Amino acid sequence: MHWNGKDSAVFQAQKEYIDTAVIPLIVIDGSEHGFPFAASAADFTLSLANLIENQFKGRIVLFPSFSYTAGQDKQSLLDIWKEELLKAEFKYIFFITSDREWSTLGDEHDVIWTPSVPLDSMDQKMRNSVLEDQLRQLIPIFAKKWAN
Amino acid sequence: MSNNKVSRRQFLSYTLTGVGGFMAAGMLMPMVRFAIDPVLQKSEGGDFVLTEKKIADITEVPERVDFTFEQVDAWYKSDITNAAWVYKEGDQIIALSPVCKHLGCTVNWEGDPAHKNQFFCPCHAGRYEKNGQNVPKTPPLGPLDQFEIRENDGFLEIGKAIPNTLV
Repeated sequence: MHWNGKDSAVFQAQKEYIDTAVIPLIVIDGSEHGFPFAASAADFTLSLANLIENQFKGRIVLFPSFSYTAGQDKQSLLDIWKEELLKAEFKYIFFITSDREWSTLGDEHDVIWTPSVPLDSMDQKMRNSVLEDQLRQLIPIFAKKWAN
Repeated sequence: MSNNKVSRRQFLSYTLTGVGGFMAAGMLMPMVRFAIDPVLQKSEGGDFVLTEKKIADITEVPERVDFTFEQVDAWYKSDITNAAWVYKEGDQIIALSPVCKHLGCTVNWEGDPAHKNQFFCPCHAGRYEKNGQNVPKTPPLGPLDQFEIRENDGFLEIGKAIPNTLV
């Protein structure tokens, strides 16, 4: 499901099945050498998030991406999101990101880190196959969390 | 004085008939155009999308075939990639939609090691037989949709989704 009016109606009606929130985390970097990398990583993360949504349409709600700058306190950002989403009775909350900074926070925060692949120079077919590969690696991660 | 001289009355009546005729034509033409619109529609076959899958390569094991078509949403054109599970049953080629009938996730062939020879939906463990028939006591309430298919020069073409005809 996407975060829009039509899907939110389905969400309200099927809450027992749609129990997972996915939020892409996008870092904004203004520095000269960081800018292109951050932009390319954002492209990758958002494309991957859309593919995840397509795969797990009936169980997840894909939220609009959350963008932040490197200086912000990551722990409190997560806590604020979680607190809000728990009001909507989500049982599982996943964050996906290509920003390596998050990997220091540890597993228990449900931040899924995927290394960013620069997609800009690829044609559509290549892009799809790279993203499909990434998705295939993510499916077990989701399945494992759901199984618990 | 010529005999062909047009009187004021005649001139006005010619002019009015002419202008009136144009106006009537202006109103009628679109109506006629709409009335015969179905005849002017593009002929059948426009909906089929050519895939890169050779008919000869299709086996009895369902295989995922991607196909891309252009979707026009008002002025915004985008390429949509869709997939189908394609396999051969006797001489017949069957293409099933990968969209789970429960809440729209994507199903995978043998996605669950515990259930061989079935389609599996990872979201809520919905299962389908090879022909798309939903397995009772799993969440889906209907069989997987089927795609219309045809052959084009040895390659598979996929058309629109239709209700499953196999179950």
